[in-house]
Amino acid sequence: MFPKRFVLKRLLLLVPVLIGVATLVFSILHLSPGDPALTIAGERASQEFVERIRADLGLNDPIWVQYIDFLGNVAQFDFGESYVINRNTSVREVLTDTLPVTLELALYGQLFGILFGIPLGVLSAVKQDTITDHATRVGALTGISVPIFWSGPLLILLFAQVLGILPTSGRISSVYSVVDIRVTGMVTIDTLLAGNWEMFRSAVRHMLLPALVIGVYSMALISRMMRSSMLEVVRQDYMRTARAKGQGAKITVLKHGFRNALIPVVTIIGIQFGGLLGGAVLTETVFAIGGIGTLLVEAIRVGDYPIVQGTVLTFALLFTLVNLIVDVTYSYLDPRIQQ
Amino acid sequence: MSTETLTDGETETKSRGFIDRVRASPFLSQLLSNRLALAGLGIIVAMLVVAIYARLTLDLEVISRSQLGTNPNRAAPSLEYPFGTDGQARALLPRVGYGAWYAMLFGTVTVGASTVLGVGLGIIAAYYGDITDNVIMRTMDVLLAFPSLLLALALVSIFPDELGLWRAVAALTLVYTPRFARVVRGAALTVLENEYVDATVALGAADPRVLVRHVLPNCLAPITVQSTLNFGLAIIDLAALSFLGFGASAGTPSWGLMLSNGVSQGLLTGVWWWSFFPGLFLALTVLGFNLLGDGMRDALDPRMREAVD
Repeated sequence: MFPKRFVLKRLLLLVPVLIGVATLVFSILHLSPGDPALTIAGERASQEFVERIRADLGLNDPIWVQYIDFLGNVAQFDFGESYVINRNTSVREVLTDTLPVTLELALYGQLFGILFGIPLGVLSAVKQDTITDHATRVGALTGISVPIFWSGPLLILLFAQVLGILPTSGRISSVYSVVDIRVTGMVTIDTLLAGNWEMFRSAVRHMLLPALVIGVYSMALISRMMRSSMLEVVRQDYMRTARAKGQGAKITVLKHGFRNALIPVVTIIGIQFGGLLGGAVLTETVFAIGGIGTLLVEAIRVGDYPIVQGTVLTFALLFTLVNLIVDVTYSYLDPRIQQ
Repeated sequence: MSTETLTDGETETKSRGFIDRVRASPFLSQLLSNRLALAGLGIIVAMLVVAIYARLTLDLEVISRSQLGTNPNRAAPSLEYPFGTDGQARALLPRVGYGAWYAMLFGTVTVGASTVLGVGLGIIAAYYGDITDNVIMRTMDVLLAFPSLLLALALVSIFPDELGLWRAVAALTLVYTPRFARVVRGAALTVLENEYVDATVALGAADPRVLVRHVLPNCLAPITVQSTLNFGLAIIDLAALSFLGFGASAGTPSWGLMLSNGVSQGLLTGVWWWSFFPGLFLALTVLGFNLLGDGMRDALDPRMREAVD
């Protein structure tokens, strides 16, 4: 029984939020200092040339006309062409190149967080108030306290400089070209699809440190949520019933407790996805990975507004969609949510 | 949550009264028996001492100025320079110490401003309901639809560069406000269901009086927890914006900027101390707030108090 009505309702509720998001991005860019026409034309361009560009961009139109045009373009996922970074390339094209890079990083980080966070949370709950529990909790809190832009460089120093066993930066060794084998844009998957083991190995080695740095944050949040959710479930009546009928403690915890405790953990995975995307900006900067995060930072620095619009809206859309998927999964796992 | 259960006769001395009040409050007694939370409080107090000491004894102009030619350049930590010196031969110890002042000051302003804004909006939304509630909360939803650091990055570009760290503060204030508004609205709705609120209204109290005297004090606990947890985030996000080049202006002894310079100019040439010490202090401070905030949240949640049978 797939919750169709619920999904439909949530999708409809999304429309005003997305219009709000687009409006906010539109206002941010119109409040920003600097003249886009001048940025495109360059400092030394003639006055007429700047005027012509201004007219082409529609910057002379009344603000509400510009706003309506903007909404129309956003609805078609058309953000125009890049001003500076990739001059004359459509923003959509730039995003198609860089988005998979960031998604790959975020997915591996998430995977790391789930693989380690869930067992640690269960362990912490089962051994509540023991040394193991305290150590796990302090470890988790330390994990969310250490900034990526500190742990990342230190790990590079240790593993790449001192020990020399992992690469310092990038996505794959520079001797390989991934352009010819591009399918998904995610380098670990593309190399695997091409069946090139050497390249795959290089890609994985490049992914280890970034995934670790970004994943520690997810791991910390997931283990914390798993712990408190587990502790709550353990106190439920059905757990007592299971034990009363003579079932062993271990089986009760795993069979009845674990599965029910997992449900609220699903929400935290959605909520912290935003943090993961923010973390991707920092991780990409530290490890010199050319994803959508480094693109945004560069675009803001040089005033490439179409790129800023495109990346910020894509990030918001991605975040909103992940949360929608999480809500739907949640309602599927726990039908009480659908009311 | 009212903790005043004592009559006048029982409070013999001031200190006695305080201890009794702590004992009478399940929140405070739970919090004070949590060693991790106390450790967090200890770290915060230590950082505050460092911050205030640095602010009072150091001259910002002197520690920001290049010391090339006077001090050894990029000197490793030694007795004379415990944290070493950076690429402009400035001793890192006083700069890292002053960084504590920056973190505390800008963190306080960010969290303070977003708390005030968020609490105001949340309480108003809960009290007036209907259209007011919808307009406020849907606006908050839009702000919450963005990953926080990315929204901050986009907002920072509105403000002129000259504002330095203040533009990061302004951007992050807007980013954090919705979190407070949401928490406070929820708490306020619960408080508003109480009969004493109806009674106050029936007695003819004006709206501001009801909100400030009766609703606000009863929402203080969740507000405090939210502020503490966001304090750590604010300090880390302020440093992140500086690290990415959208915060502190060149020369400023902010941890994020020192880290950024230390990583880009020193780390791979072996000058590890340039980024290590600012990062260590940053991580410790954030850990302090997270330990305290986590303990507060547990203390507020009665379900976490009883042990498993």
